[in-house]
Amino acid sequence: MIPASFDYHRPTSIEETLSLLSKFGDDAKILSGGHSLVPAMKLRLAQPGVIIDIGKVPGMSEIRQDGDAIVIGALVTHYQVESSDLVKRLCPLLAQTAEQIGDVQVRNRGTIGGSLAHSDPAADYPAAMLALGAEITAVGPKGKRTIKADDFFVDMLTTALEPNEILTEIRVPATGSNKVAYLKVPQSASGFAIVGVAVNLTTNGNSDCKSARIGITGLSARAFRANGVESGLAGKALDAPTIKSASSKAADGQDPLSDIHASGDYRAHLARVYTQRAIEQALS
Amino acid sequence: MKIDGTHTINAPRDIVYRLMTDPVVLARCIPGCEKLEPAGENSYTTNLKVGVGTIKGNYTGKVTLDDVQPPAHYKMLVEGKGNTGFVKGSGIIDLEASGNTETLVKYEGDVQVGGTIASVGQRMLQGAAKMMASQFFTAINAEAEAAAKAEANQEPVKPPSHGFFRTTLRWLAGLIKGWFGRRSESQ
Repeated sequence: MIPASFDYHRPTSIEETLSLLSKFGDDAKILSGGHSLVPAMKLRLAQPGVIIDIGKVPGMSEIRQDGDAIVIGALVTHYQVESSDLVKRLCPLLAQTAEQIGDVQVRNRGTIGGSLAHSDPAADYPAAMLALGAEITAVGPKGKRTIKADDFFVDMLTTALEPNEILTEIRVPATGSNKVAYLKVPQSASGFAIVGVAVNLTTNGNSDCKSARIGITGLSARAFRANGVESGLAGKALDAPTIKSASSKAADGQDPLSDIHASGDYRAHLARVYTQRAIEQALS
Repeated sequence: MKIDGTHTINAPRDIVYRLMTDPVVLARCIPGCEKLEPAGENSYTTNLKVGVGTIKGNYTGKVTLDDVQPPAHYKMLVEGKGNTGFVKGSGIIDLEASGNTETLVKYEGDVQVGGTIASVGQRMLQGAAKMMASQFFTAINAEAEAAAKAEANQEPVKPPSHGFFRTTLRWLAGLIKGWFGRRSESQ
């Protein structure tokens, strides 16, 4: 199908974007890379009357270092993240995650801001954001605010962003000598994660874990931090039995989604297996 | 697709039953409901503008209340058609008094979804249905609390406002409370 008809605006500043958002309210959708919105519009699952294309808004297309963190503009594409020397050096987990998103065409157009604002239950970035403890900056009519990743992913396709706000940049801490990995089970046609696990371990040398952050996507309505796994690893020596027993808690407290690709039980099983494999990969 | 659940409403059962079978109240509480107009005995036509995140749809449909046994039981039949597909379902609602001031609402439903949303968005359907049910019961709870308070004070009922933000905030508060409950369980 082709999309239903819509009006198109291309603001050249954040102020103009915000005034368009408040003018058209519920009927408007922001267009960034288009790789979550346009497929929905082509299926007519989304029929916004007004599209606000922020591709020409300045100040959101850069990756820069800020102290011991990287700040990534909302319009930065997945390809830019995966190929950036700065990201590969300071935050390899993010580069590893970005290079597994979709396919080459998706990575050339899709943006990190759009992906996070859309918050698909099987998107890859949310797991990495939770594992990294990223901070998301949103700008609205009342000004700028920072939302921690832990508070950002509220429910299915629902984030902590207000309808009149725009996500402008993401701040990701450098992972230093942490052991990191992102592992996913891709659905073979779409590349979406049936289950995806992002692991960020702060270790003492190589074998003792001081603290762990584990983000899991694809399992339930939104990406979440596997608290059971994290507390099963924190302060412990990272031997095989500890890893296995901690990973067995990956799906605890979650309501797994079920569809033709995987039943809820199978997804939970995959979460446990892939959490274990991701931890092992991070340590290798 | 089966949906079922239990919700506790902070009001006596009679009030909750009355509100849950009153089309004016239902129109205020069903997420995205723009109107609920009578179309026969216990039957109403409705316009719903509802969705989750980017996926939003406009649906027209019919709601019928059947097997009405106050104050404990009724059956709700829903059919709707919209830009993302169609939905046809029925649900059995049972109300149990829990003391004098609380009601346990149990619902059990079977919903058939077809069209684009069913083929492409299948993994989201269960989650979306749960979200909408949660929003509905959060709104019903607010209505029931206001009605119970008004009755206790012998004043006319002042219906609470259910703007999108207020309902979302109430429902988020419930979610957050639920997380803290879950976290303390897993520790």
